[in-house]
Amino acid sequence: MERALTTAWFDEQSRMTPEELQTVTFPTSRLGRRGYEEGPVREFLSAVHAEFVRLVNDRTSLWQEVQRLRRRIIAGEADGDGDEQTVLFGAADAHVHAVRILSVAQVTADKYVADAQDYSSRLTEETRRRRDEIMQEAQQYSDRLLEDAHAKAREAAVSALNVATVPQSDEQQRAAQAELAYLRTYSDVYRSHLRAYTEGILRGIEEWERKETASLQEAAPGGPTAGARGPTAGAQGGPTAGAQGGPTAGARAIDGNGYLRH
Amino acid sequence: MDVARLRESFGHVTAHGDELPLFFYSDLFLKHPEVRDMFPISMAAQRGHLVDALVKIVSQVDSVDDLTAFLQGLGRDHRKFGVIAEHYDAVRASLLATLEHFSGPAWTPELAADWKAAYELIGSVMTAAASADEQLRPPWWRGTVVAHEPRSFDVSVLFVRPEPRMDYLPGQSVAIESPSRPRLWRYYSMANAPRQDGLLEFHIRLIDGGAVSMALTSRKVAGTELRLGPPVGVLTLGQPVSGRDLLLVAGSTGLAPLKAILDQVTTLPQPPKVHLFFGARTADGLYDLDSLEKMAAQHPWLTITPVVSADPRFAGETGSLPDVVARHRGWSGHDAYLAGPTTMVRDAAAQLASAGMAQDHIHIEDFGWSEP
Repeated sequence: MERALTTAWFDEQSRMTPEELQTVTFPTSRLGRRGYEEGPVREFLSAVHAEFVRLVNDRTSLWQEVQRLRRRIIAGEADGDGDEQTVLFGAADAHVHAVRILSVAQVTADKYVADAQDYSSRLTEETRRRRDEIMQEAQQYSDRLLEDAHAKAREAAVSALNVATVPQSDEQQRAAQAELAYLRTYSDVYRSHLRAYTEGILRGIEEWERKETASLQEAAPGGPTAGARGPTAGAQGGPTAGAQGGPTAGARAIDGNGYLRH
Repeated sequence: MDVARLRESFGHVTAHGDELPLFFYSDLFLKHPEVRDMFPISMAAQRGHLVDALVKIVSQVDSVDDLTAFLQGLGRDHRKFGVIAEHYDAVRASLLATLEHFSGPAWTPELAADWKAAYELIGSVMTAAASADEQLRPPWWRGTVVAHEPRSFDVSVLFVRPEPRMDYLPGQSVAIESPSRPRLWRYYSMANAPRQDGLLEFHIRLIDGGAVSMALTSRKVAGTELRLGPPVGVLTLGQPVSGRDLLLVAGSTGLAPLKAILDQVTTLPQPPKVHLFFGARTADGLYDLDSLEKMAAQHPWLTITPVVSADPRFAGETGSLPDVVARHRGWSGHDAYLAGPTTMVRDAAAQLASAGMAQDHIHIEDFGWSEP
């Protein structure tokens, strides 16, 4: 970098040096008058003028180069060590540096929120899936019970018809009564099975609810209003330039009315 | 103001992508830390909104008339966030600092003047609209949740008391902020026409990973104080009411705005015939069918058709909602109002249009000023 900056000064061999200013000579004027010949002096002055113009231009471009290097260092692209960075840091850079630090912090916070949202999304998806499974299972189970009951009823009806057409012995009557008693018991058992099964599901749901409530309380120890800001605190609440979650700029947030989602 | 130069400069700086809004907000928050509280913790979505708005503004800055409605809406909308005139100066300073930072040597006094002029134009339209709006209504309403009714696995109905009373057109929506999700605003439609007691009914569906919907469907929401933005939206009956028969097509909680319209129809001296299709994936998702059927029993002009798309055992119409509506035919003399998931609304609108219904008679929500 040092080399790159200095070569520019020696590129043009024709340029004036400070030594030239000290060693310059002018021919004396003719006709014995004291003083220098006017022409060469003017020429020299014009060379000095050109040199000054160049110096000013160089100074400007170097200043821009310094600015560019500062930005590079701030952008973290410079290969130099920490000391060099410190040396090249000005007051304006301190602000830009602070902006960078805050930006990094913000992006980190964004990532945490995104992760939490992702986790909660997977959790509800999983819950939805399990709920569908449980409902389906319950439906199938109740279908099976119903089918069994139908079959048994059909059987009973058939045997009752048979019994009606054929004169019944005492033994047949006892058998029919036994069958009837069995069917009653059978239906009782099924009913209690179904009840137990349904109650089991309900208990499961209550358990979930209790856990949910407990975790909610844990999350907000001050109760439901702990997180609430009063309306005065809320007197400031939203963004400035640009749009904030909502229909502003047409960017729909992920929830809100389903039909308002993008 | 040199618009071409402005656009070229903007094209150059936007090449930096997310770095641009990131720098802008960090600069703004460092210079005005008090402003940070107006924004949510995660700024990821916010940065996108800012760039979207800037892109829209820069692309239309030379046709201010087209932009005006957008900017007026933006200015009014920002009132609920607590934005006041002073904030516009702070934003201008940080915006110019950001543009200068990313422009490098291309940043000239002329370019700075162009940006300043463009910003003045935008800011003046926004602040004028905001201050005109101040005469009409508060920046936001306090809304106490007086009842929370879980209706199905993932839908809850909330009853909210706004203070002060809120006037709105049936079919409109408000942005809602929950105290447990500060600075996150989501739009929900009122599901009733304005009532004597001023209560607002909202239908909230739990969206997987939806921060606000999760807070609003939780039982914890009962008794809390929400913040409500001003009512917006154009899914409303015309003024005066056309008198044509109505076809209402509601997918899931898209029912809310249509129920509000239905509520309004009950108050008309000569209600038109109304046919409401209410669709969900499963019968469980028809969370408000009882109350709709009660209404139908009271009003002979009202027909309710529940539709289930993912359960062939359902004892009623099954299939996709747009298909079922199209099967019924004879909608040419109707005004159609559609609300629900985006794809459902789009499909239903397309099917009605191809069946010969004029676009003028197909009503869907359109946030006019807010569309990009």
